[in-house]
Amino acid sequence: MKLQTKDIAAIGLMSALLITLQVGFSFLPNIELVSILIILFTIFIGWKTLYVIYIFVLVEGLIYGIHKWWICYLYVWTILMLITMLFKHSKSPFLWAIISGTFGLSFGLLCTIPDYFIGGMPLAISTFINGIPFDIIHGASNYIIALILFKPLYTFFNWIDQKNYI
Amino acid sequence: MKQKNQTIKFTIATLVLIAIVAVFLYVYNRNTTPPQEGDKEITVQVIIPEEELKEYTISTDATTLREALEEEGMIKGEGTGVSFYITEVNGRLANSANEEWWSITKDGEFSDLGVGSINIQDKEKYELTLMIGW
Repeated sequence: MKLQTKDIAAIGLMSALLITLQVGFSFLPNIELVSILIILFTIFIGWKTLYVIYIFVLVEGLIYGIHKWWICYLYVWTILMLITMLFKHSKSPFLWAIISGTFGLSFGLLCTIPDYFIGGMPLAISTFINGIPFDIIHGASNYIIALILFKPLYTFFNWIDQKNYI
Repeated sequence: MKQKNQTIKFTIATLVLIAIVAVFLYVYNRNTTPPQEGDKEITVQVIIPEEELKEYTISTDATTLREALEEEGMIKGEGTGVSFYITEVNGRLANSANEEWWSITKDGEFSDLGVGSINIQDKEKYELTLMIGW
């Protein structure tokens, strides 16, 4: 993955956008724009999204500190990116709503992997059950956000892409 | 025709998602005990490795374990709502740099819920244990 100057600039801007929107929306429990943006970044810059993800994760760790959730961040956004790579040629808001919604709904489950290694299956199960209300909010909001925002954001990123900025 | 098939597929996928939400809600409700009003007496043990076990009997009107422990000034934590978690018990801070964290167990069994979501019942016994290692 050799980077050109414009890639570095685009990755910097995309990372800044992710971090800003995450912090801006952090007062709303599990309602976020990070998922839809990672989907769109993956569609437009493919594997280079890994740079964006890990800059985002690193800065999140610096802002909020290294906690258990941070370990989950190390792999959970990459999973979303990998799933997106499988369907990256689709432009259907419905498909992305289902993928983003499923991702939001399974976020808590995916984040129980560190709990499994800390306290075994009982802790993993208790953490998952405790987070169910948040997972439902996450899944529903991701579904709605993707359904509404995928098309306009895709059009916007496509316009930037055609200008050869990314 | 293709458009119609796509619509059917997405409708089915959305219904599957709704079904998963229903299963999640069922699991959550099954593991939540209803709140008990009025006076209750609970026992709380504070377990720190290589230190003497401390046991407290708390009489309270609180409905959740978090409220009861906060009334006694026993805990501090981070997060809000159900994502609240304990960082400090009786002034003993779990040092995340040393991979320390506070676990909540009820009669030795890991709680299925966080401290803010546990509805306490009369005569229950909880343990707050300082765990080391992630």
